Amino acid sequence: MKYWNPTLETLPRKRLDEIELDYFKNILSYAKAHTLLYREKLKDVAPHDIKTFDEIKKIPLTDKEELRRYQENPPYPYGGILGVDIEKITTFRQTSGTTGKPVYVPESYESWQWRIEAWCHILYMAGFRPHHRIFLPFGYNVYVAFWEAHYASEKLGCELIPGGALDTKGRIHKVIETRANGMMNTPTYGLHIAEEAKKMGIEPASLGIERMLCAGEPMPSATRLKLEEIYRCDVYDHIGGTEPCAWAGMCETKDGMHIIEPFFLVEILDRETLQREVEEGEIGVAVVTPLGRRSFPLIRFNTKDLVVKGEGSCSCGRTSGKIKEVVGRTDDLRKVRGVLFSPKTVEEVIRKEFQEVEEFEIIVERRSLMDVILLRAEVSPQLPLGSIEQTRARLAESLKIATNLSFIVIIEPPGSLPRYMLKAKRFRDMREGEKNE
Amino acid sequence: MNEQIRKEIERLEESAIRLRTLGQENPAILKNAEIILTFIYILKFITPITGKEGS
Repeated sequence: MKYWNPTLETLPRKRLDEIELDYFKNILSYAKAHTLLYREKLKDVAPHDIKTFDEIKKIPLTDKEELRRYQENPPYPYGGILGVDIEKITTFRQTSGTTGKPVYVPESYESWQWRIEAWCHILYMAGFRPHHRIFLPFGYNVYVAFWEAHYASEKLGCELIPGGALDTKGRIHKVIETRANGMMNTPTYGLHIAEEAKKMGIEPASLGIERMLCAGEPMPSATRLKLEEIYRCDVYDHIGGTEPCAWAGMCETKDGMHIIEPFFLVEILDRETLQREVEEGEIGVAVVTPLGRRSFPLIRFNTKDLVVKGEGSCSCGRTSGKIKEVVGRTDDLRKVRGVLFSPKTVEEVIRKEFQEVEEFEIIVERRSLMDVILLRAEVSPQLPLGSIEQTRARLAESLKIATNLSFIVIIEPPGSLPRYMLKAKRFRDMREGEKNE
Repeated sequence: MNEQIRKEIERLEESAIRLRTLGQENPAILKNAEIILTFIYILKFITPITGKEGS
């Protein structure tokens, strides 16, 4: 069977739009009736008067800061974002807190099941089926992503191996021992597992992983292809977040990602005004409304994810809208010497052209009123000493072509840069007044 | 009361089995029907015939 839900996944566009407009009005109405946040924020909005998608654009966006502010109200710890009686809440989760105080996410049994059903689409599109034995190389803790992966895999009928409370070597041994043939991880950790396996004298392709789903970081296609080459497996991507859920995933064509409709209404808005829906091929900010989650209703959430809007059709036959590419986070886009810079471009160049670079870090500094951008690149111990200068020069040249910026490239010895299990932090902006990620 | 509950569970079971049959070509429907049947199994397990219904 090709689709998880053939009825929903092949609905004509017009019918999808009608359903989503209807669902949007329902959740808007629900949010107004059940949460302090939307009762106050949308006091002048009459949900059932909304007739078109243009009218939806007039409803104010919701951002993370607002969620944090309303969480200061009772009941503790969810406050004014809670959409059901607190006794209906069955699980506490939270955001990572990378950009400030974490947002606490209330999940009722019903809302969690809704979320899992949406996630099943992502897994099924990525080709996971009941014969897959999936290794999850993380302790999930209070963070939602791998819990979703866990429960959705279970719902699909896959066999799950939770790989928390082990170090990387222990996880590699567990993959071998259990003969796992699927894995879900951040791209960074996928690369790290491969690196560690090689140090242990194990060829990553011999681990027998057939299918991998990545999450947690924008993944350039060069990184995806590198993972495919290293593990000799199919690698898929998806995008989501703790607040809006996972809302788009990659199908077998591996060409962009399908929005999971009609679970989510996704608008891709121009990043200057956040008012205009961008055209196909244009970069915009993803604004997401989960259309069926009641424990934590969220209306037009500004994800701050920068994406390229994709085509409205796909050779896989699904009729949902697509995003062509995830560019990064609006927080990561910086002006350096007047040039708009995205750290993802550097990763794309390195993974594509520099197999000898195993890890890297980008640092922006201000020296004598001048922005300086440094690349610390850690090279493979197999690289002959005589080739190091050549790699340094090639890196500087390729990055200049790709970004229009001159980089100071510093070659670091093997093993000197940090390795990450979850989200990598390879970009630091040290300039005064700029946010240091 | 228990007898009434069991009858209701049996009705649900018949309906869920029909749903499962109808969902053969739709994995999402099929799986959700199977999950309903899992809960029906538990419901039946926790409502055994006690022998007191008729008394």
